[in-house]
Amino acid sequence: MLAMAAGILTAGSLAAQQLPERQGFFDIRSASTVLNNGVHELEARLQLILSDEALDALNSGVPLTIELEFEVIRVRGFWLDASDADLTFQYELEYRPLSQRYLVRNLNSGDQDTFSTLYSALNNLGRIQGLPVIDDAVLGADNRYRLRLRARLSTRQYPSALRLLFFWRGQWQLESEWYEWSLER
Amino acid sequence: MVRMVARKIRRAAIATIGAVGVGLALVALFLLSWTPQNSDDYESLHITILLVNIAGVIVLFILMVGNLAKLLRDYRSHVPGSKLKARVVGMFVGLAVLPLLVVFYFSIQFINSGIDSWFNIDVEEGLDEALALSQAALGIQMRDHLTTTAQIADRLQDVSARQLIFELSMLRRESGASEISIFGRNSRIIATSSDQSAGSLPKPLTDEVLLQISQGRPFVILDPVESGNYEIRAAVPFGNLNRPEFAGVIQALYPVPERISMMANSVEASNSDYKRAAYIREPLKRNFSLTLTVVLMLSLLSSIYGAFILSRRLVAPIQDLVAGTRAVAKGDFDTRLPTPSRDEIGFLINSFNDMTQRLSSAHREASLSQALVEAERANLAVILDRLSTGVVALESDFRIRNANAASGAILNVDLESRIGEYLPDVAKGQPLLDQFVDVARVHLNAGETEWREQIVLRGEVGRRVLTCACTTLPGDEDHAAGYVVVFDDITALLQAQRDAAWGEVARRLAHEIKNPLTPIQLSAERMRRKYLHTLPAEEAQVLDRATHTIVQQVEAMKEMVNAFSDYARAPDIDVNKFDIGKLVHEVVDLYRAQESDIRIILKTDSNLPEIEADAGRVRQIMHNLLRNAVEALEHTENGRIEVDVTSAEVHDVEVVDIVVADNGPGFHSKSLSQIFEPYVTSKPKGTGLGLAIVKKLVEEHAGTIDAINPADGGALIRIQLPVNETARGQMIARLPGRAEIRRERA
Repeated sequence: MLAMAAGILTAGSLAAQQLPERQGFFDIRSASTVLNNGVHELEARLQLILSDEALDALNSGVPLTIELEFEVIRVRGFWLDASDADLTFQYELEYRPLSQRYLVRNLNSGDQDTFSTLYSALNNLGRIQGLPVIDDAVLGADNRYRLRLRARLSTRQYPSALRLLFFWRGQWQLESEWYEWSLER
Repeated sequence: MVRMVARKIRRAAIATIGAVGVGLALVALFLLSWTPQNSDDYESLHITILLVNIAGVIVLFILMVGNLAKLLRDYRSHVPGSKLKARVVGMFVGLAVLPLLVVFYFSIQFINSGIDSWFNIDVEEGLDEALALSQAALGIQMRDHLTTTAQIADRLQDVSARQLIFELSMLRRESGASEISIFGRNSRIIATSSDQSAGSLPKPLTDEVLLQISQGRPFVILDPVESGNYEIRAAVPFGNLNRPEFAGVIQALYPVPERISMMANSVEASNSDYKRAAYIREPLKRNFSLTLTVVLMLSLLSSIYGAFILSRRLVAPIQDLVAGTRAVAKGDFDTRLPTPSRDEIGFLINSFNDMTQRLSSAHREASLSQALVEAERANLAVILDRLSTGVVALESDFRIRNANAASGAILNVDLESRIGEYLPDVAKGQPLLDQFVDVARVHLNAGETEWREQIVLRGEVGRRVLTCACTTLPGDEDHAAGYVVVFDDITALLQAQRDAAWGEVARRLAHEIKNPLTPIQLSAERMRRKYLHTLPAEEAQVLDRATHTIVQQVEAMKEMVNAFSDYARAPDIDVNKFDIGKLVHEVVDLYRAQESDIRIILKTDSNLPEIEADAGRVRQIMHNLLRNAVEALEHTENGRIEVDVTSAEVHDVEVVDIVVADNGPGFHSKSLSQIFEPYVTSKPKGTGLGLAIVKKLVEEHAGTIDAINPADGGALIRIQLPVNETARGQMIARLPGRAEIRRERA
């Protein structure tokens, strides 16, 4: 009886281990900001490789949400650094079976683009250009700042049954390392 | 009282904690079942709840294993109540586990088949086909619009630059496109026409359009737009013959009619929803199964743990009872058990407590009465011990059940030390006891169990007169009916009575006879004096003889009466300290002078103490004894009297031992025991009062006197006189014989 219960408890992880799959990974290749008309704009190159499970979900009509987390950290000499701003950019990647196209939607602005292949969709997602992130006026002129960026697969919007599945499965824990650079003005 | 209150508080606290725990578990279970259907913010909560529940399962599991191990240990070491506990636990677990497992099995089956039943191959195929149909329908439109776009490109080939915008707008309106744009090299916009208001930029060429065109292939796609509708995007290569710099791409956007878009969306949404549902089917099933399993485990382990607690509570009073019973079996009657409840077990425990209380009081009473019996027995023993009456208790088969010291003293056998022995065996070689047993046996063999008799026992030193009474003893469980024989040595009493009687006779004789004797004598002498010489010789001779006889007999009578008088009178003793050796010498010398033909040998200790006594009486004792001996030697040749005076200690009492022995004929053996009574004499002469007076005088001095016929002939009288007042007191306090036995026992 107990063995049975233990078996059921670990069923999720066992099922996950049974599939020889691509694990997927998110990586930030480069990131920088450019000051343009008093606004710092983000330029970044991301490598987004989805795991097989995420692909399965995508092809089964589950939209994936990819989040870009951007943080402005004020460097302090004799104290812990302070996080002055914290921005999240959300992109939704969805497969539309009727048009057989991958749709990338910027959830912040509502803009969307469609792509015939997942590769081009992810490629498009991975090329951030001129994304205004912070007004230079709000930054202290004499302060030094560190900026950092990471990308991750968000599962917050999904049905809880799926999210529980995600909890048990490593393939859904797609998250890049923080990419950090200094603000140059 | 305080302990009871504390126990109640503890019970209430445990009950509250238990209720809160169960409540929390129920809430957690409810949340667990609720969260999968409510997807918004409960992911972390759900996980937390699940983890809490799993932690609960683990804790319960550990508790259960601990309890199980303890139960097994108890069972193996045969701890009281463990078997019952194991049975109760087994029963509860059986009752709880089987239904739970059945419910669990069917629930899993229902979940699986229920969820599976949502998915139908026909529906899936229908949806797929609907999607394909929509794609086919839209595909026709796409091909049409591509063709239209190609035609537009053809028609614009010859159009001059000036006319291009105009022509473009016209063609757009004709074709029903929402936007047509001409892109030159580097995707530069050459011309555009849109149904949108002026100022909005045309949609740029995407990479894939450029890629496909560069490969010489036309481009057409169905593109979902922000409004939720669709538009068909078609692009073809464009080359203006007049203006080679215009060579590029024409991109046309055709809106899909709203109704068709809606239908297409609906088909697509249905398809997506179905696929999504199919995708989450397994995770959903797994979730439900997991939740159900956790619920099952929680319920199962709770019920098993509950079974342990319940069995413990159920068995605890029984264990108490077992422990209590063992304590009572070991003799601890003060065991009281706490009453657990007011149910049947409580009643049982109350009954047990009642029982132990009664046992305890009964035990106390038994101990008390035993102590009383012991005390009574000890008292009785003391009384029996101090009693001068002999008491012998016999079994029905003549074994000695009990005997007191006096019985031994009277019968001259230490009966106390021979309790349990067969009385006739004890009597062997004991003349007194033997006679006693014979008398008793005669009565008892004749079936007389209640009798009373005065018996005379003859021993070596004299006879003993006993009054003897016998009665049956009631029998009990340990003893059959026996007898108790009570007897008193009344020899001394009888002697005293006899002495008193003789004393009375002597006194009366002295009084009644002595008075007329003198007148008789005087008259006889007067008669003789007056008529002797007046009468003729013959008659005078008769008178002389008669008066002589009268006077002589009166003299003798006087002498006898005086002797009686001596015997009867009891003047106060005049005690003085004197040298007894010297006194005996004087008396012996007197007799030596008188009786020349009798050899009198006197031996005295050189260190004789001075004695405190009445010298006159001691002198009289010696006179009487010597006279007695002399008279006894009247017809004996070579008569010899030995007088031996020594100091001695008899039973710690300092005495002077006087022995007067002769080599005469000795005492008549028949009268030996009565030799000291008046008128008992072995001689033809004498009053028979000599030794009686000696005995009286000796007893007045608290001394003892014995008369025996020694084995080598003759007679021997031994007198022992205490030397002083103290010794006299000690002699009075003792009876001969008894003291001897006591000394031996001490």
